[in-house]
Amino acid sequence: MALKTATGRQVLAGLLTGLVAGLLLTALVVDAGHRRLNGVAAQQRAVIATAAAAEALAAGGEDAQDLVERLVERIPDLEELRVVDVGSRSLSASTHATDREAGVPPRRLTRDEKSLYDQARELQAARRTNEQEAEARKNEVLAEVLPDGRLQLVVPVMEGDRVTGAVQAWCGGAPADRIGGPGFAPWLVAAVCIVVFLVVMRLVPSPRARVLVSLVILAAGLWFHADLAVDGLADHRVRLEEGLRDHAFALQEICAASLPGVGADPSAWDLDRYRQPRGRFDAAGELDLEVVRAGAAPTLRRFGQSAAVLSVIALVLQWWVAGGWATASWRALVKNRSAYGFVLPAMVGMVLLVFYPFTYGLAISFTGKTLYNVNEPLVDLFVGFENYVQILKDIDVFTTAEDGSRIINFQSFYWTLGFTILWTVSNVSIGVSLGLLLALILNTKGLALRPLYRIILILPWAVPNYITALIWKGMFHKQFGVINQIVQIFGGEPIAWFDAWGTSFAAVLMTNAWLSFPFMMVISLGALQSIPGDLYEAARVDGAGKFQQFRFITLPSLKPALVPAVILSVVWTFNMFNIIYLVSQGEPAGATEILITEAYKIAFEQYRYGYAAAYSVVIFMILLAYGIWQNRTTKATEGI
Amino acid sequence: MSRRTDSVGHLWLHLFLLVMVVITVYPILWVLSVAFSGGQSLAFADLPPDPGVLDRLRAIVPWPEQLTWSNFSDVFSQQPFGRWLLNSTIVAGATTLCGVFLASTAGYAFSRFKFPGRRAGMMGFLVSQMFPGTLTLVPLYIIIVVWLELGSNFLGLILLYSTTAIPFCVWMLKGYFDTIPIELEESAKMDGASALTIFYRIILPLSKPAIAVTALFSFMTAWNEFVLALTIMDQEIMYTAPVGLRFFVGGYAEQQWGYFAAGSIVAALPVMILFLILQRYLISGLTAGAVKG
Repeated sequence: MALKTATGRQVLAGLLTGLVAGLLLTALVVDAGHRRLNGVAAQQRAVIATAAAAEALAAGGEDAQDLVERLVERIPDLEELRVVDVGSRSLSASTHATDREAGVPPRRLTRDEKSLYDQARELQAARRTNEQEAEARKNEVLAEVLPDGRLQLVVPVMEGDRVTGAVQAWCGGAPADRIGGPGFAPWLVAAVCIVVFLVVMRLVPSPRARVLVSLVILAAGLWFHADLAVDGLADHRVRLEEGLRDHAFALQEICAASLPGVGADPSAWDLDRYRQPRGRFDAAGELDLEVVRAGAAPTLRRFGQSAAVLSVIALVLQWWVAGGWATASWRALVKNRSAYGFVLPAMVGMVLLVFYPFTYGLAISFTGKTLYNVNEPLVDLFVGFENYVQILKDIDVFTTAEDGSRIINFQSFYWTLGFTILWTVSNVSIGVSLGLLLALILNTKGLALRPLYRIILILPWAVPNYITALIWKGMFHKQFGVINQIVQIFGGEPIAWFDAWGTSFAAVLMTNAWLSFPFMMVISLGALQSIPGDLYEAARVDGAGKFQQFRFITLPSLKPALVPAVILSVVWTFNMFNIIYLVSQGEPAGATEILITEAYKIAFEQYRYGYAAAYSVVIFMILLAYGIWQNRTTKATEGI
Repeated sequence: MSRRTDSVGHLWLHLFLLVMVVITVYPILWVLSVAFSGGQSLAFADLPPDPGVLDRLRAIVPWPEQLTWSNFSDVFSQQPFGRWLLNSTIVAGATTLCGVFLASTAGYAFSRFKFPGRRAGMMGFLVSQMFPGTLTLVPLYIIIVVWLELGSNFLGLILLYSTTAIPFCVWMLKGYFDTIPIELEESAKMDGASALTIFYRIILPLSKPAIAVTALFSFMTAWNEFVLALTIMDQEIMYTAPVGLRFFVGGYAEQQWGYFAAGSIVAALPVMILFLILQRYLISGLTAGAVKG
């Protein structure tokens, strides 16, 4: 055990590594948290300024152009203002220089300015929707960060309850609030940890105990540091809210000086994106700390989670260094540097684009991720095993309709699983029997034209399978397809192949059989040709008949080649996406869907990513179980 | 005497083989005649209102009523099929370069060096072949399209194809490198050559056939791939040939079977020829592991 022999220096190095990693990573997250809070506050600052401008405009009473110019001059946040009136589709006022080139406002909007009008209409529609549904669902304040870092806000101009227009404002980044940096907390924590550790080293002689104690010290230190950081973030948040309140009251003074009556209650400008008052402070300027804290809670919780994960990483690092594994790994790395150099490019590619997505897919399968929340962190969408339960609990494949007839629930996982197995088994049996039969025929001695037959019969394998699928789809066409013409030659009625489960299955089966028999044929033929002729000679001398020769010589010799080929073709057919997706498309009503196409449809037609991921994990488990079982049985037979 | 019975027996075999040949060749002839018919219809002949058996027979004989190249020229001039072929060529070409580079270096390391993690790495490559496509498809879609914003971009598809082809290519090349005698390298090492020089100057030139097969395999995989391209490339101008061909006949719009057939022939002919030339190598690559036991 490496821990027993850990030297004092190694343990100290471990602690230092853990401290640096843990504190540095946490400090980065704290910094990001501060930046995020500052960004949110800057946006809120701009919202307050723009809302103030909108209220001044709604109060009207004087020339809009004069008003916006005065507002931009007096309110430092506002750099440019444009006002659009929806009813007359006109630009009522603008401080933007290029706008004036196209005519002095008020004037009709030009074609280039249509986006402005669209935004105003969007706000109007959002207002109406939220009113009708009596629920704030659509944004009534549009905010966007421009490429140059400025904010662009659009706030409706109201007349009573009606949105009559909108004011668009470009606001400069608010004066940067001091982030404050990590401060002295990390240094303090690091110093205390090291001192405590050095003292403990004197008292504890056993290397293993030293490692354990150092782990405890680091864990305690990181926890303390995270706690300080959380408090720091919460305080910062309160300071920012105070800043916003002061900002609003400063605006009130500016407005009151020139526009009596506007801004009687500056807390009314502190709006969220649904244009509801945020309620962080009241008309008297009193901050409601309860609301501020409640608003900060999710951010702080997420920060706490990140800090916990980072601490675990730091502890693992410490363990790794203290136990001497780091040194060992480093030596191995240096010793085999050329080997690792050669493997690195492929490994990086595999990790980033195969193993990471696989792990991420596993993680998604435990969440309710959909198209609509794709950018939200996974932790917030966690649903546990709900997706799996939902997939597996749908046991009622057959239900009874009201009139007593039986209805098959084609959407049930078990129906799809059953169909996939039926599909795989029938395809592989057809492939093996047809392929083997043709191989035996082609292996007949003295048969004329053998090479020609072989090259023709191998053709379906060469055709890209998506083309095969589309060709057969055309041939199965109800009205013009050649297959229905053949049916009619024999006096039948044209068949709507994809309207019934049985015929639909027959169609996809035929298609897949056509493209899959050459593989088995080629493999069997290769194996047959490698059987030495003396074996048959000897068998004939011993009086074995044709069948006995086949049973006791041919079949056993084929086995080493056929078994892996069968395994391969089981996996291929099980996942044969193209044929099902392109030929039957699961028709009728999903009855001929196999697991893999069903998973695809859940992901890319219903956009339920989490559910589709869980579905795929189930498919993977089935294949894995098959692989393990197959491996065991073939190994068992090899031993005989 | 035995010669006579053999011939009689062979007659039945030939009959059976002939039936199989007809079944095998029919869909291919079907595409050819739709392509050369000059129309967009599935049918080879217009049936009279009350068709007899002869009319029906005419309708299944894969020979168009007129022979014309017009579908081939129209699919390039009136449809963006040329652009789609170009997209496929770019993607498959870059995938080949990228895939061969990644697979040959890794294959060489696995073949020649003993290092910690070698076994785990090779097993990892093998196991990754068992991941079902859709399990990685959703995360890959989120990574490539939502995060990296590489939807409808060559780079996204090239990255994906290169890595999906790696495991097979690595195993195949490792097997080939194993057969190159190590003495060659040892003498070079005596002369002071670095591992990189040995790989570049000795191993690669000796492995030309295997590299060629790997390259063609990567190319064919990328050229024929459908699902990933369908998912990633959502702008019509960025379709690859498979997605484009399906666009002719899969959508809700009018189905253009003539364009599909002509385009299929153009897209499939090169890979079919490649396949028929390479089939023996590919088959031995597929079964090599199994035969060794």
